[in-house]
Amino acid sequence: MTMTTTYLDLVAEKPTGRVTEQVRREIGGLVSEGGLISEPAQLRTYECDGLTGFRVVPALVVLPASTEEVAAVVRVCARERIPFVARGAGTGLSGGALPVADGIVIGLARMREILSVDAENQRAVVQPGVTNLGISAAVAPHELYFAPDPSSQVVCTIGGNVAENSGGAHCLKYGFTTNHVLGLTMVCADGSVVTLGGDSLDQVGPDLRALVVGSEGTVGIVTEITVRLLRKPEAIRTLVADFPDAEHAGNAVSDIVSAGIIPAAVEMLDALAIEACEKATGAGYSLDTPAALVVELDGVGVEVEAEFERVQRICRDNQATHIRIAQDPVERALIWKGRKAAFAAMGRISPDYFVQDGVIPRTKLGATLTRIGEMSRAAGLRVANVFHAGDGNLHPLVLYESAVPGQAEQAERLATAIVELCVEQGGSITGEHGVGSDKACSMPKMFTESDLTAMALVRAAFDPEGVCNPGKVLPTPRLCGERPGPWRPHPLEQAGEIERF
Amino acid sequence: MTATTSPGPAGSTVERPTSVDEAVKVLRDSRGSVLFRGAGTKMSWAGRPENPDLVLETGGLDRLLDHNPADMTASAQAGMPLRALQDRLAEAGQWLALDPPTEPDGATLGGLLATGESGPRRLRYGALRDLVIGVTLVLSDGTLARAGGHVIKNVAGYDLTKLMYGSLGTLGLIAEVVLRLHPRPETSATVVVPASVQEATARSLDLLAAPLEPCAVDWVGDPRGGASSGRLAVRFEGTAAGVAAQTAALRGRLDGAAPEVLANTDEAALWREYAGAHRAEPGQSMAFAGTLPSRLTAVAAALADAADAAGVDVSLASHSALGLQTARFSGPPAQQAAALDRWRREVLALGGTVLLRERPAEIDAAAVDALGPAPSAVGLLRALKARLDPDGRCAPGRLAPWL
Repeated sequence: MTMTTTYLDLVAEKPTGRVTEQVRREIGGLVSEGGLISEPAQLRTYECDGLTGFRVVPALVVLPASTEEVAAVVRVCARERIPFVARGAGTGLSGGALPVADGIVIGLARMREILSVDAENQRAVVQPGVTNLGISAAVAPHELYFAPDPSSQVVCTIGGNVAENSGGAHCLKYGFTTNHVLGLTMVCADGSVVTLGGDSLDQVGPDLRALVVGSEGTVGIVTEITVRLLRKPEAIRTLVADFPDAEHAGNAVSDIVSAGIIPAAVEMLDALAIEACEKATGAGYSLDTPAALVVELDGVGVEVEAEFERVQRICRDNQATHIRIAQDPVERALIWKGRKAAFAAMGRISPDYFVQDGVIPRTKLGATLTRIGEMSRAAGLRVANVFHAGDGNLHPLVLYESAVPGQAEQAERLATAIVELCVEQGGSITGEHGVGSDKACSMPKMFTESDLTAMALVRAAFDPEGVCNPGKVLPTPRLCGERPGPWRPHPLEQAGEIERF
Repeated sequence: MTATTSPGPAGSTVERPTSVDEAVKVLRDSRGSVLFRGAGTKMSWAGRPENPDLVLETGGLDRLLDHNPADMTASAQAGMPLRALQDRLAEAGQWLALDPPTEPDGATLGGLLATGESGPRRLRYGALRDLVIGVTLVLSDGTLARAGGHVIKNVAGYDLTKLMYGSLGTLGLIAEVVLRLHPRPETSATVVVPASVQEATARSLDLLAAPLEPCAVDWVGDPRGGASSGRLAVRFEGTAAGVAAQTAALRGRLDGAAPEVLANTDEAALWREYAGAHRAEPGQSMAFAGTLPSRLTAVAAALADAADAAGVDVSLASHSALGLQTARFSGPPAQQAAALDRWRREVLALGGTVLLRERPAEIDAAAVDALGPAPSAVGLLRALKARLDPDGRCAPGRLAPWL
């Protein structure tokens, strides 16, 4: 058995069943009132997630109201080999919740109860449809919060956060969803229900819950989540510093970290991004600055004050032209509102855009931004940069007009080239948006065939029949065959007549 | 340096590769069962591995591959001892924020990831699962697989890195790891206060609710309780001003108690002593339990009951704000086994988890079950094992009877 045949065998799309009238009726009987959507106009609501360029209308949408209902629906899918795709709020940016043609979308939006809060032990048990911010709001009276804070936190769900291992602006200090999830109830691909992890920090045996977090809905459907909560910090200080260029801002970030300071968040915005954010929110960013940093420190009062002084000094040493310090929680919230609205705000300055999510080592920030600038000029397309500078997670937004013939393709090429640049710098194709449908074909840029084989083996252990969100994360010949990269099997290879090694 | 092959105990062959490529060759070109071994400080954790045909020692894979101080990341081969890594990182004022009890004995990075061992400062920095950002694995057929990468923020592909945490060598060889580092704190101080287990539980919960950021909250003592039956130690790290302010704030919260503040060598001695409380002495059994922090009192009461019923001596050490505790049993082996079994039933009933870490060989005759009842996900574990290690070569017996 060679690796090539193993991989192709593992990711081969298996023959799938269809949602017949009989199946539709059977599933309708398994979910409570209002849980079945089969009208074509309504189905179209679910044709895409936040990555709107890819659209597939599913055969059926089910909105179960309990773990038992999810399991019952999945059992039918397993029996009939009907592919299914789990969906939260549909805010994902990588097409992870893109439906499969002839498949079923299982929406978790009706499962939105906070089942229990244990303030003393700093735990909560929630259903997957609870919004990210909903958790923090529910535990705020106990001075607690849920740390991961993706920009879409007002609407995105914890189930989606688990699927994508969501981060957010504050993950530099506090980590990602995987660092804050202790237990999961999961409906497996065959419809059985298992518990992974639980109340305590460590389990006996390999850490399956860590494997499920970030698996993008390809190993099962999580229906209950035990999260760890954090005590709100005693002090929070936030500033916005303007810089003469991105290189100086990048150097300031490096200097802050080198000084042994771990800020809660460090965000960078360039002039284009600021223009868009200001048009959308009027958060008070300087319109005439080429680059701005948002730096937030939190923790114990005395320590925060001392480090905040040092951060201001470092900004000035790197030629900061203006430093604005948030005077109260309202002003801090406004600064964050501006930053978190960045993607949505792009519509104010460009009809269309592609957003990327590449990561680079922090020390390559300045050089990479310079290179992106050159690539942008060479392509004749504007690129706005708004990103998590502290952890090197770039979100370049490639602006274009789909009305101009050929520009969309050109923009897509530029966006892909930027991501590949990140990988060349020793980084990653995605820091928080996930691979999904969008970047599956870029996986070979980062991983070898044998790396992907090991991943495919793990996936197959959870979903041997390939019914669970097929076509996401791992490249397949059908998805990627026409694209550059190693996933272009020779026809003889496909026919089983030759092997690559 | 080249690989060495030598005969091992009980007829097994010992291979000591000095590169990842050699490790690939060793696994690809061999058949039969294989046991991966680092410094061998935790070989008796969980189930007893059956006598392997091959012992693959990682001692020759001990190099620091890369250290990027400005990015605060490093990569190293899995056989590198943690303390050797810390020495190298200290040159740049950094460290891997992990302080497991077996570090002084030469515990290796790969062994620490495979066993999931952690220490007191997990409270602030997390466990190794939270600090490892990339891994190189060699599967039992010699397949080389990397996951994760060299950047801290990365969601590309399945997280095989964290999957290795607690795998105890049953899924494949951990050959290299990529790590997230932290700056070494400027200063440190520890507040120590006498506390029974009941007091320790209450104070630990109070600390969790307080706006303080201790890096460790640990209790060691007699599970039976009573006046001056134990001591709670609370450690702060950071700037001098920050540590002083937090130490003072904590003293203010310790109504009626008489705290002592330790620094420098006194502080180091205390934490050495506390680390020792998580190590078994010859002839002892030792088990590790995870529960909600508020359950510490109940865990201790169950331990005292189990000890009395079986007629053995016990001691308890707890990372009490984390809900992680080590129980040690001394006495005739059969009675140790009886006490352990009874205590585990009680801890599981409290919603906790228990893993048997050390025990004298004689205990095996008492047919003690190292893992306890299988979880609902045992089917997934078995499927995973069947895919990654289809011939069942890796560490047979280690996670038996689950795997």
